[in-house]
Amino acid sequence: MLRISSDLASGLFWLALSVFICIKSAEVEIGSIRSPGSGFLPFWAGVLFGMLAMVLVLKSLIKKGINERPPIIGNVKWNRALVVLGSLYAYAILLQKIGYLLATFGLMILLFCVLERPKWWVGIASSLLTVSLTYLIFYKWLGVQLPKGILTF
Amino acid sequence: MEILQNISYGFSIGLQPTHLLFCFIGCLLGTLIGVLPGIGPVGAISMLLPATFHMSPTAAIIMLAGIYYGSMYGGSTTSILVNIPGEAASVVTCLDGYEMAKQGRAGPALGIAAFGSFVAGTLGLIGLMLFSVPLAALALKVGYPDYFAILLLGMTMIIYMTQGSILKGIMMGVLGVILSSVGIDPVLGFARMTFNRVELADGFSVVPIAMGLFGVSEVLLNIETSFRHEILKTNIKDLFPGRSDWNRAKGPILRGSLLGFVLGILPGGGPVIASFVSYGMEKRFSKEPERFGKGAIEGVAGPEAANNSATSGAFVPLFTLGIPANLVMALLLGALVVHGMRPGPFFINEHPDIFWGVLSSMYLGNLMLLILNLPLVPLWVQVLKIPYRILFPLILLFCLIGAYAINNSIFDVVVMITFGLTGYLFKKFNFEGAPLILAFVLGPILELSLRQSLIISKGSFLIFFKRPISAFAVILACAIIAASFLPRFRKQGQNRQEMA
Repeated sequence: MLRISSDLASGLFWLALSVFICIKSAEVEIGSIRSPGSGFLPFWAGVLFGMLAMVLVLKSLIKKGINERPPIIGNVKWNRALVVLGSLYAYAILLQKIGYLLATFGLMILLFCVLERPKWWVGIASSLLTVSLTYLIFYKWLGVQLPKGILTF
Repeated sequence: MEILQNISYGFSIGLQPTHLLFCFIGCLLGTLIGVLPGIGPVGAISMLLPATFHMSPTAAIIMLAGIYYGSMYGGSTTSILVNIPGEAASVVTCLDGYEMAKQGRAGPALGIAAFGSFVAGTLGLIGLMLFSVPLAALALKVGYPDYFAILLLGMTMIIYMTQGSILKGIMMGVLGVILSSVGIDPVLGFARMTFNRVELADGFSVVPIAMGLFGVSEVLLNIETSFRHEILKTNIKDLFPGRSDWNRAKGPILRGSLLGFVLGILPGGGPVIASFVSYGMEKRFSKEPERFGKGAIEGVAGPEAANNSATSGAFVPLFTLGIPANLVMALLLGALVVHGMRPGPFFINEHPDIFWGVLSSMYLGNLMLLILNLPLVPLWVQVLKIPYRILFPLILLFCLIGAYAINNSIFDVVVMITFGLTGYLFKKFNFEGAPLILAFVLGPILELSLRQSLIISKGSFLIFFKRPISAFAVILACAIIAASFLPRFRKQGQNRQEMA
């Protein structure tokens, strides 16, 4: 279990991000205060962000020993959220390739089983109903161009 | 006389069958969203925003506005019957509403919430009509430095109102501004932080970010704990409050309406704050403050009126200055921009159909909600029984379809999921998403007004102190930041948030 406080961890991450932002925004012209360039706002906002991140880091270090420092991973229940997130990313990858109907059917079966495992036919029927109804509403009625994939209707 | 002509013109638009239908759909969806815990108006509007791209701008705004004020009506139902606020602005209604329900007075509580909301909605709309046109004329005198200062003040107030650390709130605001600068620079045309991706040339779209931060992340948090809620087994009778209830409630309704409207106009204000301030005010003014928290009808009437009239007030800065006072208004601004419109001082003159049409539809929508809501209470109670294991896959699917529908692009879907993960981590690390999204929406106007001000002043920041509006706004913003670091004020803010 990691023994760094969540503020220290997030502060260090934001600090690294601010450096990255400053480097990327310096790639376009920053300009001067009299004539600000394209990179002016993101660069100086990045600098301010970095300074604030540093304050967060310092505050978390000063608090060391005074407050009990919560572990980063200990207070986070990853399992269900991780399954859902993984399936959403997989859906995004597969959507264009296999199409809306198949990808959504698979996703719905998975999501309906995350909290409680229903009877197999209930899971399949609910998923089929959801896919059909959303297809009718969004594709047929609202005209959203959902990917067809390998099914051509 | 001109205002009467405008009102009748507005009703001629609002009463068109298509607009009536979309108003009805918006109100119904809004009530549903308000009833269902775990998804608020911000998540719902961002989910449905892409569906409005094919509509006329008037119909789109009518429906989205309907969702907003409809959710205020719906939120009270769950607060009173289940002690779970459907959305944040109804948190305070739980205190006395649920107590009334426990005492067998769920009917009058639901009734006064609905009637109070209707009266407040009507008064709020009158205020919107009376204030918007003169304010738009005044807004013509607002220059770049004033815009920058007002935006800064709005962001400061949002940050001040956030839970927990002010430092983290400021960080989220700055991050929102940085995110908004991704894409082609609107002044000089250079690409910034696009990583050579064509999808980023126009920057991030507000919809997938809002859906991720407020839709997906909420789901991820909710599935960690399987929450079950028990609905109070009580007979819902006497939905029309009696004379003594009215006598107690009429003052709070009128005061709540006025207070809500004013707080709705202020940047960073809105229904949540309005409901809390109204509750505090009623308790302070009451001759029997000890009744509050034990089923006082004033504790339901005031906050419910305040949160409803705040929704009308929030339209004033959007339509006159183009500045969204809260997150929902930021999304409506996004919807107007998608339809090729930029709200500001000229908006009411250039698009009277939208302004007066939306205004009249809001009145019609309030009437619909009053007629529909009370008889439909048993139905909403049934809706509450839908288990979350069925609800959350549907919420996620609507988010996925909504994100894809913006540009028919998988990129937006990935952005939404990633911001869902980001929002989830934000909650774990005690960061707030609200300042980020508001700063993200205000970012482009903020950048333009800052750069133009600096060019005009040849690099002198004193320009912000040379004009009365900008000087006032900057000084007030600085005072708020300074006050928030003072222990006494900070403690008050934390107490308020703990109540929420």
